[in-house]
Amino acid sequence: MKALHIAFKDLLRFFKTPFVLIMMFGAPLLITGLLYFAFGSLTGGGDLDLQAVRVQVANLDQPGAQGDGFAAGEMLVEFLQSEDLGDLLEVTLAGDEAAARQAVQEQQADIALIIPPDFTAAALAPGRETTVVQYEDPTLTIGPGIVEDLVSQFIDGFSGAKIAADVASRQLEAGDSVAREAAMEYAAWLESSGHDHEGGTTSALNTRSPAPGGESAAEGASTIGAIMIAMTIFFAFFMGANSAESIIREDEAGTLERLFTTPTPQAIILGGKFLTVVLTLVVQVVVLLLASGLAFGINWGQPLTVVLVTAGLIVVAAGFGVLLMSFVKNTRQTGPVMGGVLTLTGMLGGLFTSGVPNMPEALDTVRLTMPQGWAMYGWELALQGNGVSDVLLPVGVMLGLGALFFAVGVVLFRKRFA
Amino acid sequence: MNSKAIEIQDLHKDFGDIHAVQGVSLEVQTGEIFSLLGPNGAGKSTTISMLACLLEPTAGDARVMGHSVQREPMAVKRTIGVVPQEIALYGDLSARENLTFWAKMYGLSGAELAQRVDEVLDVIGLVDRQKGRVDTYSGGMKRRLNIGIALLHRPQILILDEPTVGIDPQSRRNILDTVKEFNRQGMTVLYTTHYMEEAQELSDRIAIMDQGRIIANGSHDELVKIVGELDRVDLTLNAPAERVTAAWQAIEGVHQITTNNGTLALLADDSNQVLPRLFESANQNHVRITSVDIQEPNLEAVFLHLTGRALRD
Repeated sequence: MKALHIAFKDLLRFFKTPFVLIMMFGAPLLITGLLYFAFGSLTGGGDLDLQAVRVQVANLDQPGAQGDGFAAGEMLVEFLQSEDLGDLLEVTLAGDEAAARQAVQEQQADIALIIPPDFTAAALAPGRETTVVQYEDPTLTIGPGIVEDLVSQFIDGFSGAKIAADVASRQLEAGDSVAREAAMEYAAWLESSGHDHEGGTTSALNTRSPAPGGESAAEGASTIGAIMIAMTIFFAFFMGANSAESIIREDEAGTLERLFTTPTPQAIILGGKFLTVVLTLVVQVVVLLLASGLAFGINWGQPLTVVLVTAGLIVVAAGFGVLLMSFVKNTRQTGPVMGGVLTLTGMLGGLFTSGVPNMPEALDTVRLTMPQGWAMYGWELALQGNGVSDVLLPVGVMLGLGALFFAVGVVLFRKRFA
Repeated sequence: MNSKAIEIQDLHKDFGDIHAVQGVSLEVQTGEIFSLLGPNGAGKSTTISMLACLLEPTAGDARVMGHSVQREPMAVKRTIGVVPQEIALYGDLSARENLTFWAKMYGLSGAELAQRVDEVLDVIGLVDRQKGRVDTYSGGMKRRLNIGIALLHRPQILILDEPTVGIDPQSRRNILDTVKEFNRQGMTVLYTTHYMEEAQELSDRIAIMDQGRIIANGSHDELVKIVGELDRVDLTLNAPAERVTAAWQAIEGVHQITTNNGTLALLADDSNQVLPRLFESANQNHVRITSVDIQEPNLEAVFLHLTGRALRD
């Protein structure tokens, strides 16, 4: 019970110390948050917010009677005005080419699209070509490319159909009625498929944002999750050492010696101090996982797997902290030792390269020479949604290393205060 | 009131080649204030640390309320309250939080704990500031809280290790009065100091320590008798003391001369008879006496007599 009193007293002191709170919770969340916002939401929840491109269309197409009412220019306009492109394009019609150009010059439109008079004819007649002209504001970068791609896709469809029909008609010696038939079939398909997202068919142009929870979102969440867990591991190891340092701070302040004058066995006093390390890490890691899960939408994995890797992380970080501080003589040494050792082992353990693609494979081996590397490995497996059996190795290594570090640290501390 | 609260038998403590405590034996009676008086490095704190079970004796043993410090340390710790020389508090906690934590370490809980914390806050005069961070307290307030912690479990013996070092006269006065009050309430007090005045004012009995040994032990009057009726005379000269020491040692009635930082101290049978001869001799040696301080026989003189050095050398 006295060990708990000592641990709770230390926790109370930690929570009254701004520096500790920053290192426990603030720094890991802040660093991950900065990365999260700097790269425009890695989880896919924060899409690039593009302003709709203002397009003035001058439809000069004169379909005539040859197409049996088929008007390719009209179809292109309808395609550009479709609801699916509503977020991308703001399409208005101009009376003629000059009016459309004038709108661009006066910056009332970003792009002027001139559909030529022989657009339908070119769509239907094999070998005939025409040109859709696009005038654009030269200061724009993204908008013109989007419109160009959309129009090209529309026209390519006709071109492909025409080539196929041309080949077929020559083979069948059946004249251009087949080509016309094919073009009209394509047009009908394009029209129907372009408006049929709700029916479940594949759209000709998929311009929708990635759906939350989709593959892209999962990859993003996994990336931010890897960064967040790397930060959590780094700062958990830091707090493990920092809370173990409280033994040295109490020794220097005289309160540890005073504790030894109370009717409390030395083993319980040191046990209480070690319990402080474990409890501090439990609070820190649980809060960080919950807070970052809510803030960044990270799915940490299967609950039981997460519990296991959390336990492994806490034990190994606590053991490492106790071991590290057992070599330190006074608080003047703790800063350089903690900064140097934890940064170096964290780097070798791969904490600062998590989420970075195309890292040399050799680093995967190197990182497993460090306890942080095993923690990272275990958490990566958890983030990938693996089950308990898949994380048993890293969790076992973490628990084993933690116990070993802890045992050596305890022996050295007890020797010091014997 | 005559039983032994503390009984130390031939206690030794070595740190490598350093013999910090060398065969200390003494007894402290229940209900008395007993002082260990000696200069820094005399071995007082080491002796206290062994009584508080912080250090294991190299040889010998001590019994506190009948319990051996070697074999029954937990029983010893339950009977004593230790006030360390340095302030040992949690500065980022309040006085109440500090007292509550330490009370738990002494095994108190529940209503008894809350009651004792309230009582101690009242005794040390920190009721109004009980919720403030200890970091914000004055030195005197911290000293009082430092003492208060040792009182939480109503110890039979209060051990104070130089509790007045580095504090202002008012706080010092307050601490001495508090110690006397605890003693009046029946608490046995073991007090270490290198201030002769404190030992003289507080103590029923005093042990003078030097270089790890008890060199004298008894009541104030018994100790003073060691130097007989000798007066201690401190003089300041305008020239090196060596110019007069040989001549003064030849003067009848002068017994012992020591020098320290330009001040010359001597023991004399009767200072009124000796002083004119000292002035005459100084004139003959072309030395001026710039100040004279005469002290009736006291513990300082005892220490000087026994060691040939001043207590604060």
